[in-house]
Amino acid sequence: MFGFGARAPTSAEKVAAVENELKVVAEMHTRMVKICSLKCVDKTYREGELSKGEAVCLDRCAAKFFEAHAKISDHLQQQSAQQGGGFGM
Amino acid sequence: MDSLRAQQNLTSSPNSLTVSEQRELEQRLQKRQVKEFMSLFGNLVDNCFTACVDDFTSKALSGREGGCIQRCVAKSMTTQTRLSERFAELNQAMTAEMQNKRF
Repeated sequence: MFGFGARAPTSAEKVAAVENELKVVAEMHTRMVKICSLKCVDKTYREGELSKGEAVCLDRCAAKFFEAHAKISDHLQQQSAQQGGGFGM
Repeated sequence: MDSLRAQQNLTSSPNSLTVSEQRELEQRLQKRQVKEFMSLFGNLVDNCFTACVDDFTSKALSGREGGCIQRCVAKSMTTQTRLSERFAELNQAMTAEMQNKRF
C-alpha cells in the first residue's frame, strides 16, 4: 500500500501491514458506534430495547457516516493533489 | 474483528503470508480482540454509570439506578450489534467501490 522501498518487505513488516489495515477499519467502527449512539439513542434509558425510531436513526447514521468519510477522503486527496504529492487513503 | 476480517479485501493480501506469518497475525489479532473487549467493557461501565447514577445519599445503588443500568447495558449491546451489521455492509460496499475506482 505504501511501498516498502527497493527491498522486499520482511516477515514482520508484512504481518504488521495486515494488522495495521485491520486496525484502521476497527477504529473507524469504534468511532462510528460511539458517535451514532450519541446522536440516536435516548440517554435516559427508560427502555431496555431500541425503539423503532432509534433503530432507523442508527441505520441512517451509519450510512451517512460512511458517506461523510468518503467525501472527506476525496476532498483531502483533491487538496493534496493540488498542492503536489499524494496522501493516499 | 472476525467479521471484519471475513469480508475485508485487504490491499496487503494476507494470502501472501506464510503459515508461520499467518499464525503470528492470528496471535496479534487475538491480543487486539482482548484489548478491544476490555475497552468496550470499560466504556460501558463509564457510560452507564454516568447516565444512571446521580444519587449519593446512599452508598448502594438504588433500585431505580440498578434498573437503569440494566436497561443501559441491554440497549448498548443491541446498538453495538446493529451498528456492527450496518458497518459490515457499508464497509463491503465501500471496499468494492474502491476496487472499481482503481481499475
